[in-house]
Amino acid sequence: MLLRHKKSSPRSDGLVLFEDVQDAMRGEKVLKKAGYAIKLVAPPPQLRRGCDLALGINLVERAGVERVLKDNEADYVEIVPVKPGSPPLLDIVSVTDFGRWLMVKAGNMKLSFAKESGIIVNTSGGGCPDIPYLHSELVGKRLDQAPRPRDIGFTLCALMLDRALEECLILNKEGGRQ
Amino acid sequence: MMLIAGTVPVKGLPLIEGRPVIEGENLVVDGYHIPCGQGTGAMISAALVTLGYLKLEAPQVVVAGDTGLGRGSRQIYEYLIGNVATISPEVMALHYCLPDMALMARLWESVRRCPRKVTMIADAGAMYAAKAAGLAPHFDIFTPDASEMAFLADPDATHPAYIAEHLFDTDVSQTPRLVAAAYRHKGAAMVLLVKGSTDYVVNEGDIVATVTEPNVPELEAIGGTGDTITGLVSALVYAGLEPHEAAIIAARSNRMAGQYAQATPATRVWQIISQFDAVFKQHLCQWSGVCCTKGGL
Repeated sequence: MLLRHKKSSPRSDGLVLFEDVQDAMRGEKVLKKAGYAIKLVAPPPQLRRGCDLALGINLVERAGVERVLKDNEADYVEIVPVKPGSPPLLDIVSVTDFGRWLMVKAGNMKLSFAKESGIIVNTSGGGCPDIPYLHSELVGKRLDQAPRPRDIGFTLCALMLDRALEECLILNKEGGRQ
Repeated sequence: MMLIAGTVPVKGLPLIEGRPVIEGENLVVDGYHIPCGQGTGAMISAALVTLGYLKLEAPQVVVAGDTGLGRGSRQIYEYLIGNVATISPEVMALHYCLPDMALMARLWESVRRCPRKVTMIADAGAMYAAKAAGLAPHFDIFTPDASEMAFLADPDATHPAYIAEHLFDTDVSQTPRLVAAAYRHKGAAMVLLVKGSTDYVVNEGDIVATVTEPNVPELEAIGGTGDTITGLVSALVYAGLEPHEAAIIAARSNRMAGQYAQATPATRVWQIISQFDAVFKQHLCQWSGVCCTKGGL
């Protein structure tokens, strides 16, 4: 169980959308129990998808929120930024070939691995506190044996690093070719 | 006094403060060992080495363990909110933390009560929080990378993962446009050091320098090499350089250290930091125009 300590009122820049009120109430219960500073709010009309209740969250905590909801089998529709029309999470990946190594960049996060061994040699980018932790947990491990950032991280930076790792796994399977 | 605050990836580490020393690949603060890897550890180490070379006192650091849950981040915010006016640092560099706009706004209110001007520098999560809270113009220096520059330029974004357009390093030609947008939307600090294949130094909206040499593209892959730039610029400002001058020298020093270390994507950031003394010895006098005597520049 994740434990958090609430000391400040949250600024909700993200919304968890639910199919119905019951799901929203259950989501609130499990997230509060996990220590997240969240609040029930009405979603803007443009974001309603059969729901009339949402949870306001700090969007940077999206990965942790998603995991708590899934671990507790709390159904939800999706997580979106508060501002209507805001773009979705970046889904652009680029690859740089450094000879013996490949660097994959997803959004602001980068992961590099050795082509021959599939060992992660570095991660870089990001600014949230789980990123240095993920760096220490991933570097030195083989791509297919490394923990997934989305499983042990908590923030949007972790989600982007997970996307980079996902791409690295595909590239490694293809023999390190771009 | 120069104050550095940020989280470190050490589970269970309480909030600690003190003057750090380097022991091998670690920092020691108040008896606790902190890895000199990506993040606040690299930033502190770079500042410490720079200040040591200049024969200035080590920075005071405030760190707490945080692996992403935010507890250590909140401890740091609360500590600074309660104590910064008493500490009254000349330079305060804020680094890795969970972005929290409400707490950053409270911290800024506390900084305003300091008896003297505090030079405010932010990178990483602290920069995200400052920009998202609308406080960017109150800061003296931000050190974003290229993708974070797109975040600063986007008036609606609260995190670099949600931006209207993405900037790859090959698109650095777009940086001037994003810089202009960031200042127009009040998403920029007084000085920006935009880190990338071309480093841009911006002073109050004007690009005053670009740094491209030596070209060491492998630095981008090495976790912590952006953090070392922030440590360098913070220390150089504390030593007396103007913020934009410090930014130019920091960018040059980091690149040169990468070249000295013969960096590859597998290089560790402490291997880069360990080259700073040699870089300073050979270039700092020429670059800064004023040479090291008995402390400071």
